[in-house]
Amino acid sequence: MELFKPIVEATVAGDEERCVALAQEVIDKGVDPLQAIEQGYTKGMAIVGDKFSRMEYYLPELIRCADAMKAAMDVLKPHLGKGQDGGVQGTVVIGTIQGDLHDLGKNIVKTMLQAAAFTVHDLGCDVQVRSFIDKAEEQDVDVIAASAILTTTMAYMPDLVNLLSDMNLRDRFKVMVGGAPVTPEYADEAGADGYGENAAEAVETAKRLVQSRRGGA
Amino acid sequence: MAGVNMAHNPNLTYLSRAQAEKIHAASLEILERVGALIDDEESAALLRKASVAVGDGDTFHISPKLVEWALSVAPKRIVLHNRNAEPVIPLEPGRIYFGLGSDCLFILDHRTGKRRQATLQDVNEAIRLADALPNIDFLMSAVLPSDVPTEAANRLQMRSMIENSTKPIMFVTNDFDSCLDVVQAAEFVAGGAKLHEQKPYCCCYINVTAPLRHNVDSLQKLLFLAAKGLPTTYTPMVLRGVSGPVTSAGAVALANAGELVGLVLAQLKREGAPIIHSGGYGDVFDMRTTTGAYTGPESYGVRTAMGAYYGLPIFGLGGSSDSKLPDEQAAAEASLTLLFETLGGANLIHDVGYMESGKCYSLEMLAICDELISYIRRYCQGIEVNDETLALDLIAELGPEGDYLPTEHTVNHYKETWYPRLFNRNHYDGWLAEDGLTLHRRTQRRVEEILQSHTPEPLEGKIKQEIEAILG
Repeated sequence: MELFKPIVEATVAGDEERCVALAQEVIDKGVDPLQAIEQGYTKGMAIVGDKFSRMEYYLPELIRCADAMKAAMDVLKPHLGKGQDGGVQGTVVIGTIQGDLHDLGKNIVKTMLQAAAFTVHDLGCDVQVRSFIDKAEEQDVDVIAASAILTTTMAYMPDLVNLLSDMNLRDRFKVMVGGAPVTPEYADEAGADGYGENAAEAVETAKRLVQSRRGGA
Repeated sequence: MAGVNMAHNPNLTYLSRAQAEKIHAASLEILERVGALIDDEESAALLRKASVAVGDGDTFHISPKLVEWALSVAPKRIVLHNRNAEPVIPLEPGRIYFGLGSDCLFILDHRTGKRRQATLQDVNEAIRLADALPNIDFLMSAVLPSDVPTEAANRLQMRSMIENSTKPIMFVTNDFDSCLDVVQAAEFVAGGAKLHEQKPYCCCYINVTAPLRHNVDSLQKLLFLAAKGLPTTYTPMVLRGVSGPVTSAGAVALANAGELVGLVLAQLKREGAPIIHSGGYGDVFDMRTTTGAYTGPESYGVRTAMGAYYGLPIFGLGGSSDSKLPDEQAAAEASLTLLFETLGGANLIHDVGYMESGKCYSLEMLAICDELISYIRRYCQGIEVNDETLALDLIAELGPEGDYLPTEHTVNHYKETWYPRLFNRNHYDGWLAEDGLTLHRRTQRRVEEILQSHTPEPLEGKIKQEIEAILG
């Protein structure tokens, strides 16, 4: 389709105006919107992601491209068929765990997850273990993501996993953890399903967890 | 004599007076217009009592007048003492002192070269090394031990600092309760609270959540220390482009505004409470790797210039690196940051030996920085210009092709030249015969030699027992 190449280009350029105009063109010309997403916008964002990991793109560029794509999605979504989510990677509830007011790292992970086409519910900081679970149930998320920057608050991470088990919800959600003091070993000990040393790794982990949850379900 | 004395020497004027005034005015405007969230009841009450306006959303809008008052009553000079109550660190203009950082989660094991989680033994070794290194003036814990219960960690760090060195201590505690015990221990060493207030052996580093969000533990610690008349920093950090403006001026103005909140509260609690001011930490956020970089050039200069503008004792940061190993990058970053901070006039320069943007500590790096500090001290000494040092008579006597080597003048003065301990100046063959090693490898050996041979001045048995009773 001759529209897909310009869509990829506009997405990689982070040109919101053009992304939206092209989305309108997709609708006007009767092109399948799902195809336009998969072969245009999502493909463009994959290139953007590559450029970011090669340090060619900086975080604000990544965000600008994601915003451009999101604006196009708003045009396309009403035209998608039933059950089509328009390329949403997955849904995550995220927060900094109770007792901890540090939300810098968590905010960066949130931004990068959104840029990678995740739907993210941000509970902020000092989030009670129970609140993570309530939100996860309410939004039927794929992943619960908890952050801690203090060794003292990191200790609530096992509580999160244990409470999920007590509520018979352990198999329903994937749990990932991160933050300065968290190591892969600690994530294992805490019973989490995944870990991210940095924001980029957190996104990869989230993708893997969503796949395994949906594949396994 | 410890520290660097900048009495006659080069210094760096990074901001013009007008620029510093503008940043200060911006901090005042932030506090008045935006206001700060105060999570602690006693602090909120102090502000209300001082007629600070409370806005929608419980923001406290502190007036410029109140800030100016706090600045006018905060002491301009603070003297830190060692374990033997000697006044070894006078924080005053032109006097620069160097110390470790605290609470790294990892350490580069100098014996194996591997990065691993830190232990209490690592704290002990870092402090013993710091005790032995002549250019390290004050202690911080270096690492957060992972092999002790979390709630005991801060107390055990303090115990290690008291037992393994006589140098003054800057402590950090996560929670308020540990802070109480740590201060109690320092007071016991000093011979009681009264004596400790007169001759403080420890000071505190308070790390605040955000410039406009002040958490309970930080405020409780601040008021407790202010009431006791003990020195502390009160340091919120802005990550540029993430939790504050990406631009230097705005990031520093915002971070500085947060510090001023602490300054005001400390003075409201007790007029004349000693505060060590940083001038506003606006750290670089690396938009490519999503790390908070410690050694970006933008982080230096502005902060110390703001500290100097206030004339308060200045808290600095240097001898650190974003590198993963004590490699060429680390040596370069440590050198530059130590030099920038020294020339900027930071009185208390911490985080010497930090690697990996503050996540990992390296004893080799600490020892390399000890050498760098000694180098910088020599540079900052400046030179003497007089008949003896100009040596005109000697030059005339020896003539156009003089041989200066055998002269009395050379014999009298050659030891004034700085000589390295770790850096190598040997000829190629000599270097090979000596060890043929890189600086890093040579320093690994040196660190181990010091740890094997250095015995810190022991702590009197009775005091040791009491310290153990307080700190566990």
